[in-house]
Parts: sequence; structure tokens; C-alpha cells
Amino acid sequence: MLVGDLKEATIEIAQQAVAPRGRAVHSLWACNLLTFLMVLGPGLIVMEADNDAGAVSTYVQAGAQYGTHLLWILLLLLPMTYFVQEMVVRLGIATGQGHAAMIYQRFGRWWGRFSLFDLLLINFLTLVTEFAAIALALNKLGVDPRIGVPLSAVALMFLVGTGSYLRWERIVVALCLLDIAWIAIAFFLRPPVGEIIRNSLVPSVPAGGITASFVFLVIAIVGTTIAPWQLFFQQSCVADKRLRFSDLRWARLDTLIGAVFTIVVAGCMMIAGSASKVHGIAFLDPAQMAVDLRAFAGAGIKTAILFLMLNAAVLGTTAISLSSAWAYGEVRGWPHSLQLPLRDAPGFYSVYFVCVALAAAVVLIPDAPLQLIIVSVQVLAGVMLPSAIIFLQLLLNDRTLLGDEFTNKSWNNWINWTIIVVFFVLSLVLALQVIAPELLLQGK
Amino acid sequence: MPMASLINSPLRNADAYWVVHPLDDLLEEKRDPSGLGPMPMTLGVRLSLFALRAYLILMAVLVAYHFVDLAGLPTVFRG
Repeated sequence: MLVGDLKEATIEIAQQAVAPRGRAVHSLWACNLLTFLMVLGPGLIVMEADNDAGAVSTYVQAGAQYGTHLLWILLLLLPMTYFVQEMVVRLGIATGQGHAAMIYQRFGRWWGRFSLFDLLLINFLTLVTEFAAIALALNKLGVDPRIGVPLSAVALMFLVGTGSYLRWERIVVALCLLDIAWIAIAFFLRPPVGEIIRNSLVPSVPAGGITASFVFLVIAIVGTTIAPWQLFFQQSCVADKRLRFSDLRWARLDTLIGAVFTIVVAGCMMIAGSASKVHGIAFLDPAQMAVDLRAFAGAGIKTAILFLMLNAAVLGTTAISLSSAWAYGEVRGWPHSLQLPLRDAPGFYSVYFVCVALAAAVVLIPDAPLQLIIVSVQVLAGVMLPSAIIFLQLLLNDRTLLGDEFTNKSWNNWINWTIIVVFFVLSLVLALQVIAPELLLQGK
Repeated sequence: MPMASLINSPLRNADAYWVVHPLDDLLEEKRDPSGLGPMPMTLGVRLSLFALRAYLILMAVLVAYHFVDLAGLPTVFRG
């Protein structure tokens, strides 16, 4: 081979080694669209996975008890949830690390371990409620939970064990988009459109006034819409996907679309619940409501709601388990990426598998105290959320780390501190209601 | 001509935009906290962490009160 040929071959090999795979497009809008589609994922998933089994139960119950009177709360929560998750995206892109790792490195071992322990505990309890919902929905569909729950657990393990982040993301995005069916269900139930628009835009209190149970449900809605695991999940997901500085605006759009979609779906869940109120059906749980709606809405609605409950629980389970696995892997310094095969990240995948397996096992225990677990989740989420958001807010003001480009602007801080104060107050009220209700005035 | 990938990609073409998936792109140098040590304890950070500690202690007290109440609170402590 001639020297010139060798030199050319060497340059070509070097170019192939460093040149990233890509695709050429011939217009700016195509470039932007393709880039956005490549970035789309973490924002949509974190938002829609939050419409998990607990959320379905909460929103449907809110509709069944108060009709469409609480829709305005969802509209208020839309900007709040977006602003919180936008900070998470910015921190994840700037540092390329997860939230647990950042708390550990910047606030020390004590706060790092506290945050990790809290996250793992509440995540595990939430996973139990997800599998409880899977068991409930499968039961109504005529599938024995003793078969269906273990099968679901195995399927969830296979979902992440492929060694490909993209494969996992595409499957989960498809599951998220299935929730569009809630919009169809809401339309099918023929809700009063004028009332929906009015109750969405104008805050109102249902007949009966502000009672203790009304306040509890409002707080439950807030706590359901913004959950602690979301902060850890999205930051780790953004880091695992290796989003670049130039992807920030598309990641923000991804998060915004996810927030809007989630709130719309949540509203449709409330509308579905309100249909049971209109028809005088006493609410017990979403699965029973689906069965009861069959009487006037048809078997299709019943089956659709039950499958959507399953979908919500599956989405919640994979996202929550991953947030635990990522957080634990980050803090322990283990390899922790969905891009790695099982043999290269055994600790990371083990945490995920153990979370899923144990939660499924608890649900299958006869007479397991599931109601106690559900209440504990609500209280612990209330405790955990303010602390997670405080660390997020402090990290986003860490100019030494982030520089001017990624640090919060003053208007960011005004909005975020307002949100934090609101969450603190709501968490305290929720804790008082659940733990020491006699300390609060009792309503009807 | 704006590029979606890093601008030092050797495969830029003046007539096209080169779009690269983040997982296929070269690694960026991120903001790294490893050499910075713990966060500087400014007044704002100290106040925030103090408020958080107070909140967590209050929650712990409420939980303890609940458990004592469940177990049967001695009447001497009742109002």
C-alpha cells in the first residue's frame, strides 16, 4: 500500500471513529423537527407516568365526589409542574448527572443519604399501590391476580433489560400515548361542555362548602400531580439519554407537551368520574366504577377504563423503579445506564428487579395492609416533596457549578419559591389531616 | 448554518443540516461538581436548610404523636 493511500485510509478510519452517526436534512424546519423528535421522551414519560394508578384513583374519585368542580386546580397545577420539571431538565443537561448524585456531592453525605432513603422508601410503597391496582384491574377483567401480577412483574423486568435506552423509551412513549383513549372516553360520556370550560377557568367550591374531605382531596390532587420521584427520574433520564446543551430548548418543549398532555388526561379522568356522579353511582374504586359505568356506557367503556388502569400502573411502575435504580446506582458509583447490558450494570438492574419483584410479592400476600400503605404513600410524598424541591432550587442557584447560563434567573426564583412555600403549607395541612385530624376544625 | 450536532463534527456539509441523536453524538464536557467540594453555605442556603430541618422535625413530631395516639395517649397529656 502506498504511503499516500495509507494516510488517506488513516484519516478515513479516524473520521469514522470520531464522526457521530447522523442524518442529513435539507431544511431548517426538518432539522428542528428531527432534533425535537430525537430529544422527545424524558419529559413526556415523566409527566404521563405520573398519571399512575394512584392518580387515576384520585382524579376519578374527585370527579365522582365533586363532579367537574375541581378542574380549575389542574389548570393551576400545569404551570407549577412545568416550572419544577424545567429546572430538573436544566440541571440534568448542565451536569449530565442525576439528582441523587448532585444532592450527595453538593450537600454532603447526610442529606444525600436522607434523600436517597426517603426516595427508595416512598417509591417502594408507591410500587405496592401500582401492583395493587394491577391486581384490582386484572380481577375485574377476569384474570386471576395470582397469575397476572407475577406476569406483569416479569414483563416490566424484560422492558428494561434489553440493554437499549431507545428501545425502552420507544415502548414507554407508546404506552404514554395510549392514554389518549381517556380523551375519547371523556367525549363518549357526553359531559356538559359549558360546565367543563367554566369549572376549568373559574375556581369554584362544590355545594357543601370547604369541608375537611374537600381539602384532603385538593391536597391529594396536588400531591398526585407533582411527585418526588419525578425530580429524580427526569434528571437521571436526561443524563442517561446524554442530552446536550443545544437540546435544552427541545427538552423544555418535550416537558411542556408532557405537562399539557398529562393535565388534559387528568381532566378526562375527572370527567369520567363525574359521569358516575351524574348517574348516581356510589364510588368505591376506579375498577368498580368502570364496571358500574357499563350499565349506561357499554362494555367497551368498562374494558377501556380497566386496560387504561393497567397501563397507568405499568407506566408508573417502570418509571418509579427506574428512578430508584438510577438514584441508588448514582450514589453507589455503580454503572447505571439503560444503554448497558445486564452483565455490565448488574447492581443497577438488580435494584430495579428487586423493587418490582418485592412490590408484586407484597400485593400477593393475603390480607396485606394495602389501605395503610396507600395512606402512608400520601403522607410520605407530602414529607418528601418539599425537601426534594428545596434541594433542586438551591442547586439551580449554584452559580459556582452552573455558571450564568444555567442558573435560575430572578423571575425563576420568585416563581419557584412561591411554589415551594405552597407545597410546604399543603404538606403540613395534609399531614395534620391524616395524622392528627382532631387538631384541625372538622367539616361535614 | 446551524447544526444539531456538535459543531466540530467532521461530516458537516454546506448544503445540508446534519442531525445526530444524542446517544450517537460525541460526549460533551458537562459542569462537574467533583472538584468544587460542598456547596458554599450562604445565608440563603443556610436559611433554606434550617427551614427544611424544622419542617422535618415537625413532621417527625406529628408522626410520633399519631403513633402515641394510636397506642392510647395518657390522659394527662390531653387538653
